[in-house]
Amino acid sequence: MYEVRFHGRGGQGAVMAAQTFADAAVRAGHHAQAFPYFGAERRGAPVQAFARIDSRKIRLHSQVSEPDLIVVLDASLFELEPVTEGLRKGGRLAVNTPMRPEELEIGEGAEALTAVADATAIALETLKVPIVNTAMLGVMCRVQDLVPIDAITEAVQERFGGKLGALAGTANALSARRAYDVAAVGTARGRQRFARAKEWRPAWNEIPAGTSLPSSSVEGVEIGPGSARTNLTGEWRWSSPFYKKEKCIRCLRCWWSCPDAAIDRLDDDYMRWNFDYCKGCGICADICPVDAIDMIKGVHRWE
Amino acid sequence: MVITADAAVAHAARLARAEVVPGFPITPQTIIIEQITEFINDGEMDAEFIPAESEHSVMSVAVGASAGGVRTFTATSSQGLALMYEMLFAAAPNRLPIVMANANRSVGAASGIWTEHNDSLPVREAGWLQVYVEGGQEALDMTLQAFRIAEDAQVRLPVMVCLDGFILTHTVEAVDVPERAQVDRFIPPFDPVGALQPSDPMTMSPIVPPEFAMEMRYQQDRAMQASRTVIARADEEFAALFGRRYGGLFESYRMEDAEFAMVGLGTWAGEAKEAVDQLRAEGRKAGLIRLRFVRPFPAEELRASLKDMRAVGTFERSASFNGFGPLYTELRSALYDTGVPITDHFGGIGGRDITVTTVREMYEVVERRARGESVRECTWHGLRGEQE
Repeated sequence: MYEVRFHGRGGQGAVMAAQTFADAAVRAGHHAQAFPYFGAERRGAPVQAFARIDSRKIRLHSQVSEPDLIVVLDASLFELEPVTEGLRKGGRLAVNTPMRPEELEIGEGAEALTAVADATAIALETLKVPIVNTAMLGVMCRVQDLVPIDAITEAVQERFGGKLGALAGTANALSARRAYDVAAVGTARGRQRFARAKEWRPAWNEIPAGTSLPSSSVEGVEIGPGSARTNLTGEWRWSSPFYKKEKCIRCLRCWWSCPDAAIDRLDDDYMRWNFDYCKGCGICADICPVDAIDMIKGVHRWE
Repeated sequence: MVITADAAVAHAARLARAEVVPGFPITPQTIIIEQITEFINDGEMDAEFIPAESEHSVMSVAVGASAGGVRTFTATSSQGLALMYEMLFAAAPNRLPIVMANANRSVGAASGIWTEHNDSLPVREAGWLQVYVEGGQEALDMTLQAFRIAEDAQVRLPVMVCLDGFILTHTVEAVDVPERAQVDRFIPPFDPVGALQPSDPMTMSPIVPPEFAMEMRYQQDRAMQASRTVIARADEEFAALFGRRYGGLFESYRMEDAEFAMVGLGTWAGEAKEAVDQLRAEGRKAGLIRLRFVRPFPAEELRASLKDMRAVGTFERSASFNGFGPLYTELRSALYDTGVPITDHFGGIGGRDITVTTVREMYEVVERRARGESVRECTWHGLRGEQE
């Protein structure tokens, strides 16, 4: 049994990558499966997906905890979660990064033969969007030989082509091929352990009755009761609302409409944005009748 | 084809020539309805898709369509199934052979999108047949069989095909999608009985006074009992045509000389089979029964298979809040006069990952009970904190 774990962010296509890898594995004559683990189903949120390959029918449905290969679609995740956890002895990594494997910091004292490529640049060049899944399918072919690159490009062509049109299929297959061609392979090491919020895993009788938690009782959970305390989802934002107070007529529409309750209504009925949680959806700017809110590209905070 | 189990179910609805598909989106079922609308759009499926404003309306449309004499399919999950509750009880007594897929998902709070069986098990008294599948191929094959079973003249009851949310619905694997001509040989054209006819109006589902209701309920019970042989026959005929056999009411795994066994539903069985293989390799006589049908509950058949066990464990992915789960209660009743001790095992609640190690822990308890040791009668596996 050969097991793969994909780490990405919502929107990068980690789930499609895992599915396409399984598809290619079947084309190469193996039994295969792939499945996602969904947490918060939102763009930018960390997601995981899994794939298994075997010579016989696969019965397991549990998540992959001891992968032979870990594919990282976003290198910033190394700091956010224990990406290399459980990597089997002799296991490999494939990482989206412009750095060389030797320069990478993979955390937790890990060490692994690693294939790297600047998948974001390749995706921007071939697809015109930073969706890196197909490029990473190419990169991972440099550190595993069960599924050859030809099976990958064939599966990509068919899956993406079937879903998004033949042109998209060709562009994505090109993305995979190009990444495969330019990927560098070397040994990556984890020299440091990243400081992370302590995982809060209370016993059943330590949780207050009900399904919600008062903020005072939470030490830090990624998802679940009380997770908003430590999971500052504002980091998923790629554009930020700029408030022109002088134009505001205090109609409160933005305040009502914010899906994340990230707008605070002040005593005088003017607004203040909570940039820890604002995901930059732009609904406030859209609904404002007097054009008092501008969406500015990038992750900004204003007082 | 390398597809999700949801897509596999959609293919089955297409191959079975379902003619009306009402739908309302709910994760993790949504792929089924999406895929069906794509089939219809692409001209691969000649069906009417009816987007309804709620699941209550979905089931109402399904009841109306089926009463009108057309083959009807839909899919739902969790709160969707809960919102259908009232109309589920309309489908069965009217003897409407609707087939519905249910992507098992935790219902209500603690709010989650992940697998739990507490959506479908609580409606096992609605008069529907309920089958639980383990893999993508079986999801397709059982949806096909569901039409055969539901429409059988002896049965004429709706069938719910249950598949674990995400763990199965969103898992891609290689699935053999049969040719339509082959499926046509397995599922004959829908032969509606007493369908509504504009030329010959009648009232459907009128007020039924006590003078009639009891007999109608007994009819339902007879039809449910009759479905046992129909299920077995469908499994045989399916195997003859497609070469795949699932065991009908339940699948027995390494039960021949087993001394202790577990009984459970759904994808859990994959890990359980692995655990049984490991135990067998250590010379320990473990067996597994993957229960497939909860309604009809195969009480007699299970008694025949389990009466000589030294102990049996049930796996539960749904609580009854009376100290035990629903399967324990059902199985204990089935084994009442056999003296076989039963232990109950909770796991995977709210979609928590179930590993082979977790299942082995369950088997360890059953085995200890088989040796005559005193063990906890109901264990919550993986629970943080001391179980009381």
